[in-house]
Amino acid sequence: MADNDRVRPAVVDVGDGAAIPSKSDIGLFTAWRFAFFGALALLVFLAASRPDPYLNILKFVPDGILVTFEVTVGAILLSLVIGLVTGLGRISSNRFINGAASLYVEIIRGIPLLVQLFYIYYALGRFVHVPDIASAILAMAVCYGAYMGEVFRAGIQSIPKGQMEAARSLGMTNGQAMRHVIVPQAFKVVLPPIGNEFIALLKDSSLVSILAVADILRRGREFASESFAYFETYTIIALIYLIITLFFSKLIGIMEERISEGK
Amino acid sequence: MKGSERTGMVAVREVVKRYGELRALDRVSFDVSEGEKVVIIGPSGSGKSTLLRSLNRLEQIDGGSIVVDGIDLYAPATDINALREEVGMVFQSFNLFPHKTVLENITLAQIVVRKRTQVEAEAKAKALLAKVGLAEKADAYPGKLSGGQQQRVAIARALAMDPKLMLFDEPTSALDPEMIGEVLDVMKNLALEGMTMVVVTHEMGFAREVADRVIFMDYGKIVEEGTPEHFFQNPTHERTKLFLSQIL
Repeated sequence: MADNDRVRPAVVDVGDGAAIPSKSDIGLFTAWRFAFFGALALLVFLAASRPDPYLNILKFVPDGILVTFEVTVGAILLSLVIGLVTGLGRISSNRFINGAASLYVEIIRGIPLLVQLFYIYYALGRFVHVPDIASAILAMAVCYGAYMGEVFRAGIQSIPKGQMEAARSLGMTNGQAMRHVIVPQAFKVVLPPIGNEFIALLKDSSLVSILAVADILRRGREFASESFAYFETYTIIALIYLIITLFFSKLIGIMEERISEGK
Repeated sequence: MKGSERTGMVAVREVVKRYGELRALDRVSFDVSEGEKVVIIGPSGSGKSTLLRSLNRLEQIDGGSIVVDGIDLYAPATDINALREEVGMVFQSFNLFPHKTVLENITLAQIVVRKRTQVEAEAKAKALLAKVGLAEKADAYPGKLSGGQQQRVAIARALAMDPKLMLFDEPTSALDPEMIGEVLDVMKNLALEGMTMVVVTHEMGFAREVADRVIFMDYGKIVEEGTPEHFFQNPTHERTKLFLSQIL
């Protein structure tokens, strides 16, 4: 029993991201291939068969892909930092720190993301002048930091109690034990849910298109409002999102497999 | 060894620990002198592990006092980390750090807590690994070792801090029978070197061979204590006789 616990860390199942295909799930694996290559093929077919408007849309949107990535990567990195601090706060025995972290999580989880985005964006705009994209990243990170916090909390709590006891019995302080023993192990456990959060954030980043940030969706809307080719534009937009999301879910799945196999 | 000028290493006085209604420790008092080897035995649930764990404050107690190496463990002003540097602990489930190699397991606290350099710490770790017979496993991860090997690494890890007192909490209970011997051998060598040891175990052979004193606990109380000769040949209490008849 004890040995098994050590070899296979507990699975933390938090998050609402896309399904990450694993090779053991044959149905999902096949579906992934079908969806990914199907979407690619459809994209190529549409662009080749009707360059106007499909190819034009495809030429217009790439700037937005870059922005979507900037927002996603920026927000995920920032939310990891916020999440780690929040997660540690949530398990802190200090009542003030614990209370503050819990309050943050409860408030954020109780407000729709879109409302938070508007709120933080306009609240920021009132007091400081930061670029649109920066406030979009900050708003996404503040929101996702709360979810990340719960992921980290669960990850840290999944590490067997004996690890902390062993570290403390060697004279380490609580902080040293966390830093050198608990958190590094927790990182491995939280990787799958962080992968999920990354993909969920990638999709949710489309919400920033409302905030004058020229992401994929925003570029699409710009194109559509000039050309009036709404259906065609959003077909392409949906396909682009689908391909990107599927690509990353696959990549994350492979990364996880590597990590769980090797040391 | 059993001279008269031994100084006190551990003084436990009237310690009480409650879990709700249950008294896990019920006014327990005993002493351990420097260099002494004390073995605590008793049925499961008798409070022996709780007692051992309270000797470096892994358990909170509800009454009484514990003084280790002149430091009052449960006094509010006590720096528990400073004390824990001096007290090594070996757990039933080894508790090696799975994300670190065997060598890193042994160097980590030396570097972080004792502020030794990487070079010093590694030299010490390698010497200790050789001592427990695992020199060739320095770069392995704990997951690749057998239970007996893991426990020997855990002992080396505790020894690397140069403790004045070593606590063993059922160190062989999670091991397959064929691995118990290798761990006990390491512990016996340690005893021969004069280490002060408090050992909770079911290994009566070890108690008989190594212990200066055996303490028998039941229902959170110390029922009987004495030399192994007294203990295994003429125990006075009925509870002790019953326990020994069941286990031997």
